[in-house]
Amino acid sequence: MTPAKKLLSYSYYPGCSLHASAKEYDESTRGLFKALGIGLKEVPDWLCCGATPAHNVDELLSLSLCAKNLSLAEGVEGDLAVACAACFSRLKVTQHHLADNETKRKQVEYAIAGAVNLQKPVKHLLEILAKDFGLDRLTEAVQKPLSGLKVACYYGCLLTRPPEVPELDCVEAPTIMERVIGAVGAETVRWSHRMECCGANFTLSRPGVVLKLSGSILDSAKAAGADCLMVACPLCHGNLDIRQKEIEEATGERFGMPVFYMTQLLALAVGVAPGKLGFDSMIVNPLPLLKEKGLV
Amino acid sequence: MKHSTMRLSTETMNLDFVKKVEALSGSSVRRCFQCGKCSAGCPMRSFMEHPPNRIVRFLQLGQYERVLAGRSIWYCASCETCTTRCPNKVDLAAIMDALRKCSWDAKGPSKESYVQLANRLFIDNIRTYGRQYEMRLAAVFNVKSGQFLKDLMLGPKLITRGKLKVFHQKNRNMAEIEQIFKRIEEMRKKGEAP
Repeated sequence: MTPAKKLLSYSYYPGCSLHASAKEYDESTRGLFKALGIGLKEVPDWLCCGATPAHNVDELLSLSLCAKNLSLAEGVEGDLAVACAACFSRLKVTQHHLADNETKRKQVEYAIAGAVNLQKPVKHLLEILAKDFGLDRLTEAVQKPLSGLKVACYYGCLLTRPPEVPELDCVEAPTIMERVIGAVGAETVRWSHRMECCGANFTLSRPGVVLKLSGSILDSAKAAGADCLMVACPLCHGNLDIRQKEIEEATGERFGMPVFYMTQLLALAVGVAPGKLGFDSMIVNPLPLLKEKGLV
Repeated sequence: MKHSTMRLSTETMNLDFVKKVEALSGSSVRRCFQCGKCSAGCPMRSFMEHPPNRIVRFLQLGQYERVLAGRSIWYCASCETCTTRCPNKVDLAAIMDALRKCSWDAKGPSKESYVQLANRLFIDNIRTYGRQYEMRLAAVFNVKSGQFLKDLMLGPKLITRGKLKVFHQKNRNMAEIEQIFKRIEEMRKKGEAP
């Protein structure tokens, strides 16, 4: 028996997608944290972080939107837990930029009519699970080990890049996803496209880009013998899951590769009822795979 | 082999524009020594008419109109691979942001209208609703880009799975959000912000 640890509790910034197209990421995050006894309290009236479109053409707007969110988060106790890789990146970039640029900080402070909060630690769920909660405790909490499930961990672009900003793990060869899902018994495959871009927000403007880039990712995961992909970003999920059938039609290759949010698999392993994990929201039906592996 | 002579001078190099991009991006343009590592790792390279390292070269040579008028800057996915791998600490992803801002502020000399339209609608959504309203984003994009049937088959699938919300999320602090946009416009009008 390990001695009793202090109770963990976080403020929570879900981001726009988690209340809409990525609702299963939100549901499974809440389910997982509840099962692990970690507190999670949503920041009231948070707003869009601006994501890629804002910083692409208007850096000051992007920094101001994120700074406003950081200031709203001050009203809720605990480090700020972020699920979406893009929101995580934008919030961290904002803290990083404003810490060493007084001119920008003054402009942002004027824009949001208040002080900029650079102190609150912004943490991705992976970091909370691997570092704050701990992999040993995660293993102890397992009720249904994911043994036999071969997972391709897909990081995408923004969990680790740019260097010196997210500080989640090694910028070119991270292992945090493999370590976290490995702690609940899954097998992880070695593959080539863990950090290649999925086509991101071109899904709206130029979907052809997504078909090509996400197609290569699915191809690489399949070649490595993976049963499924695991992601931590709603946009990556949308491109790999929602557009998978289109990719199959375009390439003539059949993937049938379920794409899970990391929290769906982790919550399943620690005993959260499968009915609460939004498996029915996924376009590529994961139930045949989970049944085959004896997980549902 | 025939060699052509290229003459460079501070006049032809349009250093003012380079300095503007350097100020906006916080990164040096002139440090680039053309190793090409950014282009080697760029996932969007095949969609661009000019690879990332050539864009920097154009800037160094003062040919920025070619950069602003082209599609390449709009085909950057902001994946940050170039910035991560640059051996001489050129923050190319930030330079791309700065170039897009210059193109955007000049009311878009680029022919790449779809990406710009998507960006505009995304930002408009924040001002109107505080959060993204995905259904509206997709619908208005289709109408404004004249692609009425785009992703039509996906809509019902997403709605029945609860992934596409018919109604938007509601923020109680819309007035404060509008203030952010207004104050930024005000700073720009006074020349106090880029």
